[in-house]
Amino acid sequence: MDTRNSKIIRERVIKSINTIIMALASLLLLSPMIWMISTSFKKPKDVFTYPIQWIPHDPVWTNHFKVWMTGDGFTLFYFNSLKISIILMIGAPLLAALAAYGFSRIPFKGRDAIFLLYLCLMMIPPQVLFVPKFIMFDWMKIYNTHWALILPGLFTVFGVFMIRQFFMSIPHEISEAAFIDGAGHFRIFFQLFLPLSKPVLATFAIIDFTWTWNDYENALIFLLDKKLFTVPLGMQNFMLEAGVDYNMMMAAATAGVVPLLIVFFLGQKYIIQGFSSSAVKG
Amino acid sequence: MKRQRLIGYVFIAPNLIGMIVFMLIPALFSFYLMFTDWVFASGQSPHFVGLDNFRMMVRDDLFVVSVKNTLMVLIPVPISILIGFLIAVMLNNRTYLQKTLRAFFFAPYFTSGIAIAFVWMVLFQPSKGPINAFLRSIGVADPPLWFASPDTAMYAVLIMMTAGGIGYNMIIYLAAMQELSSEQLEAAKMDGATFGQLLRLIIFPLVSPTTFFLMITGFIGSIKGFGMIYAITQGGPGNSTTVFSIFAYKKAFSFYEMGYASAVSWTMFLIILCITLIQWVGQKRWVHY
Repeated sequence: MDTRNSKIIRERVIKSINTIIMALASLLLLSPMIWMISTSFKKPKDVFTYPIQWIPHDPVWTNHFKVWMTGDGFTLFYFNSLKISIILMIGAPLLAALAAYGFSRIPFKGRDAIFLLYLCLMMIPPQVLFVPKFIMFDWMKIYNTHWALILPGLFTVFGVFMIRQFFMSIPHEISEAAFIDGAGHFRIFFQLFLPLSKPVLATFAIIDFTWTWNDYENALIFLLDKKLFTVPLGMQNFMLEAGVDYNMMMAAATAGVVPLLIVFFLGQKYIIQGFSSSAVKG
Repeated sequence: MKRQRLIGYVFIAPNLIGMIVFMLIPALFSFYLMFTDWVFASGQSPHFVGLDNFRMMVRDDLFVVSVKNTLMVLIPVPISILIGFLIAVMLNNRTYLQKTLRAFFFAPYFTSGIAIAFVWMVLFQPSKGPINAFLRSIGVADPPLWFASPDTAMYAVLIMMTAGGIGYNMIIYLAAMQELSSEQLEAAKMDGATFGQLLRLIIFPLVSPTTFFLMITGFIGSIKGFGMIYAITQGGPGNSTTVFSIFAYKKAFSFYEMGYASAVSWTMFLIILCITLIQWVGQKRWVHY
C-alpha cells in the first residue's frame, strides 16, 4: 500500500515539474508577443530598461491613441484589411465547398484529370505567378485595386482539398436517402452537406482569414496607392515613418495582431483540429 | 446520367474557372516568358532567347548568394521539428494543464506575420535591444549586431524562423501521437525501457510519417518564405539575407526584367521539386508506415 502511494506521489511530482518546465518554455516562445504588448504601454524612457519591465511600472495609453489618431492612415489600413479578409473568409469556403462536392460526390468525365491538375498547381510557388499576374492585372485594369487581392483569393486549392476530405467521410446512405426523396444535387449540397460540414467550413474560414490578414506579398506587388494599403503593407510604411518611436511601433504591431488573437481564442478548438486533420490525413 | 455529368461540371466550374484564370494561364505565361528577354515598360515585345536567361543566371553573383542563403533558411526546419516533437511528447500525458499549454505553444505560430517580424527587429536592436542587453548581462562583451550587420543578419532570421515554426510542428505531432495506440508504449515501459529509449526506439519511429510530412512541407515553406524577411531587411544588409524568393522579386519589380525573373522563379520551382523528390526517395530508409 505504502509503495503504491509513494509511486503515485512520485508520478505527480514528476508531472508537476514537467508542467512547470513546459510552462516556462511556452512563456519563452510567447515572450516576443508579451514584450510587444508591454512596450506598447510604456513611456519612451522605459523601452530598453534592463532588467526588462514585463509589466510597465507606469502604463500609458498614449501610444495606442497615437497609432489610431495621427491620421497616418492606420485606421484606413485596418478597414481595408477587414474588408478583404471578411469577403474572402465567406467567399473562398463557399466556392471551395462547391468544387469539393463535385470532386467527391458526382462522377463525371475528366474528374480525376482535373483533380490531378489541382495537385500540380499546388506545387507551383507563388513567385512563379507574380510576373504574369502583374501584367494580367494591369491589362484587366484591376492592378492597384482591391480586386487584385480579392479575385485570386477566392480560389484556393487547399480549401478544396480540405473540404473534399471531409465530404468523403460523409456516408453515401445519407445522400442516397435524399435522392430517393427526389432531392437534386443542389438541394443535397445546400440543405444537407453545408450544415453537416459547419466545423470544417469554420476551420477553413479561420485559416483563410489569417492568410489574408497576414498577406504581405500580394499587397506589396499589386497595390500602389497608400490609401489602398492593407495592415501588413501599411505597417511597414508606418514602421519606417515611426523611426525610433519604438512605443508606437509596438502599439501598431499589437493592433496588427489583435484580430488574430481574437480569432485564435474564439476558434481555438476548430483551429487545432483543423490544422491537425488537414496535415495528418491529407 | 448525362445530366448527372453536366451537374458535376456546374459544381466545379466556378472554382475551376478561377484556377485557370489566376493560376494555370499565369503559370503557362510565365513558362513562356522565361525563354524571352522581355523587360516590362521597355516598349519592346518579347524576343525568344532560348536558355540565355539560365546562362545569365548561373553567372549572376546574386544567384550564388541567394542559393547559399536559401540553403541557410532550411536549417530552422529540422531544429523546430525536433523541438516541436519534444514538446509534443511532454504535452502528451506527461504534464497537467495540457490544453492551456498547447494553446500557449501554438499562439506564437498562429499570430506570426509582419507585425511579429517588426517585434523581432526591435528585440534584436544592436545597442539597446533586450536580446543584446541580456547577452551583455551574462557576460558577452561584444554581442552580435544581428540585422544591422551582413555577417549576422542571417542568424537573426534563422532564430526568428525557428521560433515561429515550433508551435505548428508541435500541434501536428500531438495530433499524430493521440492516434497511436498506447499498447507498444506500455509494453516497453513494462520491460523497463528508459525515457530516452522510449523516445528513440518507439515514439520516434511511430511518428516518422509525420516527421516526413513536416520535413517536406517545412522545406517547401522555407524556400517560398518571403514576407517576414523582406519586410525587415529587404534582402540586406548587402545581399546577406537575399533568399531565392527575394532574388526573383528584385529582378521582377526593381529591375522589371520579367523574362529573367520568370527564369529565376521557375528555378525555384525546380529546387522545390528536387528537394521533395530527394526526400521522397530517401524516406524508405527511415519512414515506417
